[in-house]
Amino acid sequence: MRAVALAAIVVTATVTPLTAQGSTAELLGQAHEFYERLEVERALPLLRQIVSPNWPFEVTPEQRVEAYKYLGACLTLAGKRDSAVLYFRGAIERDPFTELDPNVFTPAQLATFGEAQRRTFAVAVRPVEPARVDPRTARVTFTIVATHAALVDVKLSAVGSGPRLSLFQSTMDGVREITWDGLLADRRLAPPGRYALAVVGRSRLTGTADSARVYFDLRHEVAPLEDTLPALDQRALLPERISPEAARRDVPKGLGVAAAALLIAAAANGDLGGSERGGAAALAATAAATGLVAFLVHRRNGAIPQNVVANARRRAERDSANASVRGRNADRLAATVLLVSPAAGEGTGP
Amino acid sequence: MRAACVIAGAMVGAAPAGAQRALTVAPFASLAEHRVDAGLGVERSLGPIVGGVGTLRVGPRLEVAVRAVGGRLIGSTGVLDRDVGELGVEASVITLPWLALQAGAARRAYSTKLGRQTWTLVSLGGTARMAFAGDAIHSVWRAALLPAVSASGLTDPDVAFRAATGLEYRVRTTTLMVEYSLERYDFPAEAGVRRLEQLSALTLRLELRLR
Repeated sequence: MRAVALAAIVVTATVTPLTAQGSTAELLGQAHEFYERLEVERALPLLRQIVSPNWPFEVTPEQRVEAYKYLGACLTLAGKRDSAVLYFRGAIERDPFTELDPNVFTPAQLATFGEAQRRTFAVAVRPVEPARVDPRTARVTFTIVATHAALVDVKLSAVGSGPRLSLFQSTMDGVREITWDGLLADRRLAPPGRYALAVVGRSRLTGTADSARVYFDLRHEVAPLEDTLPALDQRALLPERISPEAARRDVPKGLGVAAAALLIAAAANGDLGGSERGGAAALAATAAATGLVAFLVHRRNGAIPQNVVANARRRAERDSANASVRGRNADRLAATVLLVSPAAGEGTGP
Repeated sequence: MRAACVIAGAMVGAAPAGAQRALTVAPFASLAEHRVDAGLGVERSLGPIVGGVGTLRVGPRLEVAVRAVGGRLIGSTGVLDRDVGELGVEASVITLPWLALQAGAARRAYSTKLGRQTWTLVSLGGTARMAFAGDAIHSVWRAALLPAVSASGLTDPDVAFRAATGLEYRVRTTTLMVEYSLERYDFPAEAGVRRLEQLSALTLRLELRLR
């Protein structure tokens, strides 16, 4: 028994919101049916119930705007123009994008709605739709509205930093689409982050002002970039100068060759009365002189030209490779696609 | 062409151990001295020898060299002049950047107006190179044993070796080498006479890298 009761509670808790919305939608549907049959007197109480604070069920903003709009339409048909204007204004204040379809509503209703628009000033911007935009060929689109003629200023800015980019500044009336090429004021692609689109309007009729703001996140879709080659450190380069120690070692190396030549000439063939000693002596002198001259030259000018050339070649190869990498990366960055998604309020962004 | 088939491959030796070239040619000129003591005193002859070495690198560590040299040695007083020539082949294995081990064989001929003597030489040895600062100059040290030597009309020598030292000067694809070398042969005593023979040379060689 307790289980059944618990199940009933769970089912009730689960179903209640649906039922509540269903009740509002049901009542709104009935009101529509009455309205379509021109049974305005029967539709009005139902619509008033929906907008009443005592209505026990949940009413979505769209349902409330719809109820206000049909209340205005019904009252227009009933000849209660002033009341109709009030309800139309209620709808417009809640959703400045509210409009009447000329194919559905009568000229009188349209005129009354127009009067409500003239008496009510509001600007609004639609929430940004998720989009994937190639800034080379497409634009990000925003939809704004002013309920009547107004001077409207639309600015885009990165949340928390950056200058504002003016996208639109002019007089407008009604709905207007504004496009953005993805570039900021410096003509560079907008970096990833959270952005705010602020709409400020001042009525040309009443002088009143209104503003609206919408947030969206911007991300870049770009092919993975290549890393450039790191700078060449000492281990990757050949020594370009000869150290003093290495230069000093040239002397014993030359003397070593000289001694070896003399040793071969003298020691190895003494029982044959010597050998071509002049040749050995010539080589010995050459080797000793080579060692000494090499030491002196390397001490004064220790540059190693072939290493300098080899290092220059390595640096040039690295620079060339990095230039190619940068070129490919630039191509990839130029093909960056903007991913736009709606956001709620200021934040750090993606 | 009286002169020459070729001499003194031993004095010229193998291709550089550290070289990375695939094909090199190296013409050279030597001032050679030949001394022989066959029990009648030292006979001395001296003269120029010219020749060339072609070296082909057939692998990252293996080189094959072919040499051909020839010249005329002018005898001292009472000594006959003689033409010398030699053809030889040698393989080098680079075991360390500064050391190459070599094995080679050569055929040498001495010709005088009285006759002709041919030698067959097999050598095993090594060449070490030590760079001076800057890597443009190298000292070269060679040593080789000649374990198999046969000379026509003579018994094989008991001792046969070759030693050499020199310098290499490298400029781009060209290497200039100057080297002093000596070959020594001690033959076994026969009838109380011990034959000694040696060939020394001062060689100037220009090595050109072709590809």
